[in-house]
Amino acid sequence: MASLAQQFAGLRCPPLSSSRLSKPFSPRPQNTAFSPVVSAVAISNAQTRERQRLKEIFEDAYERCRTAPMEGVSFTVEDFNAALDKYDFDSEIGTKVKGTVFYIDGNGALVDITAKSSAFLPVQEACIHRIKHVEEAGIVPGLREEFVIIGENEADDSLILSLRSIQYDLAWERCRQLQSEDVVIKGKVVGGNKGGVVAVVEGLRGFVPFSQVSSKSTAEELLDRELPLKFVEVDEEQSRLVLSNRKAMADSQAQLGIGSVVTGTVQSLKPYGAFIDIGGINGLLHISQISHDRVSDISTVLQPGDTLKVMILSHDRERGRVSLSTKKLEPTPGDMIRNPELVFEKAEEMARTFRQRIAQAEAMARADMLRFQPESGLTLNTDGVLGSLTQLTPDLPVEGLDLSAV
Amino acid sequence: MTRRYWNINLEEMMEAGVHFGHGTRKWNPRMAPYISAKRKGIHITNLTRTARFLSEACDLVFDAASRGKQFLIVGTKKKAADLVASAAIRARCHYVNKKWLGGMSTNWSTTEMRLHKFRDLRAEQKAGRLNRLPKRDAAMLKRQLSHLQAYLGGIQYMTGLPDIVIIVDQQEEYTALRECVTLGIPTICLIDTNCDPDLADISIPANDDAIASIRLILNKLVSAICEGRSSYIRNR
Repeated sequence: MASLAQQFAGLRCPPLSSSRLSKPFSPRPQNTAFSPVVSAVAISNAQTRERQRLKEIFEDAYERCRTAPMEGVSFTVEDFNAALDKYDFDSEIGTKVKGTVFYIDGNGALVDITAKSSAFLPVQEACIHRIKHVEEAGIVPGLREEFVIIGENEADDSLILSLRSIQYDLAWERCRQLQSEDVVIKGKVVGGNKGGVVAVVEGLRGFVPFSQVSSKSTAEELLDRELPLKFVEVDEEQSRLVLSNRKAMADSQAQLGIGSVVTGTVQSLKPYGAFIDIGGINGLLHISQISHDRVSDISTVLQPGDTLKVMILSHDRERGRVSLSTKKLEPTPGDMIRNPELVFEKAEEMARTFRQRIAQAEAMARADMLRFQPESGLTLNTDGVLGSLTQLTPDLPVEGLDLSAV
Repeated sequence: MTRRYWNINLEEMMEAGVHFGHGTRKWNPRMAPYISAKRKGIHITNLTRTARFLSEACDLVFDAASRGKQFLIVGTKKKAADLVASAAIRARCHYVNKKWLGGMSTNWSTTEMRLHKFRDLRAEQKAGRLNRLPKRDAAMLKRQLSHLQAYLGGIQYMTGLPDIVIIVDQQEEYTALRECVTLGIPTICLIDTNCDPDLADISIPANDDAIASIRLILNKLVSAICEGRSSYIRNR
């Protein structure tokens, strides 16, 4: 304020003693330097007089406001104080507020909330996916939505809002639901690191370890591809989202028959056997099932990365376990150790013989059962499968048993 | 002077957040008579005073408009720019919503020259003469035109100094306020808890940060201007 006084001291005309100085009520020391109409006098007298008149009217109005403070006001101070609590706003970080967007910009959007000042929604916080402009997230002027407060801008008392946190919560909730329903979803691979690849699912980034990826490809090959994935772990507090491709593929290929021969690759070796990857599922080839001869050390027979033919012994769908065997495929016992290639060539034949032997054994067992319990009404049809009488002669009435067909 | 009833409603004002002030540390002690309480580290302005000053300001503005005076609304805050423009267009007054160039009113002769140039450029563009020039000249003139449109677009129809100036944020438009005071133009200003109430002629204590509060006050003033204008036209 002192600088103003200095500026006006340089004027040639002395300050007019305007009516302002003679006002007794409000101490306005700085206005002695403010000569209102000094410079304007020189311009035009008629205009200045008009303005002076107008100014006087304004002064009178101000006086009136001071002397009759309640005139024309429809409410009292008590009403005002009482209503204060109703319109209080909570500006803690983390609270949700409802607001209307009224202006959008390249950097974000301005949102009107009942607070000291309008709030700002930066473009990075508008959506989980990366977007360039808030319009892509659907934020247009006039949109009324709920936001969450994430910070405060000290310079102009405005709040910083975010939609992202709300969307994240929703995404985690959806992932939890999907996990409980055990569905297969498609996720796009966006990146990879040392242990696996990163895929985007429901807007969240999930990790797929290499061990859980079914195909034998590196991270670069998988980039930008959509894989079917299933949830392995969904933990919001630790921000862990682990997915598996293997499990999803396993579901789609649950039709592996028992006794079929498949080609597989050795994944890893354990003291008790080897894990073989067959078409998406890991099966265990137990050490005792490799060969008729005793195998003391697995690494002499198999190495990780070896391809070999194995036969499926059993398939436990619920636990996703498959038991494999190469023992049954050996033409002569001990071949696996001595001559693995022979085993593989003969694998198909051996499997067929194995199946026939199994079928015969089953037939014998059923025949025995029939002999000892003829009144059970079961018979043996040409395939060697036990079935009830009525199946052989479908045109017979159900009630009457005709023993002539036996 | 006519006293009319302007519907200044307590609920409306509180919903718009007119009563919020700035933080307690940033206040101007001269605002003490207008502050009613302190809550959660911010000052609360006394809405009864606001209502009183607002109704008084509306009366004055209605009177002036019914006598055919010119108004100027100054609001350069980025948030409030669109609001000021739309309010002024509704009330058919002049406005400044981009930067207030220094000397816009005290150096009115120069501003007038710029306005003439702006008017001529607009006429040329309408006549299509800009397209006949070489590309570089046309580009330069178009750039000048857009520049002038941005800064002087609101006052392009102003022929002389305005009679009453309405200022939206005192801190932001300090230059404009001082120019009006030097020229003796009566001013109506929106005052927040960190402003000086003695600078302007009628200072309305209100929240100058929230867009809803600025919108409310401007709407009241603008409706008063509109009514005054219509009565001026009727009684001509």
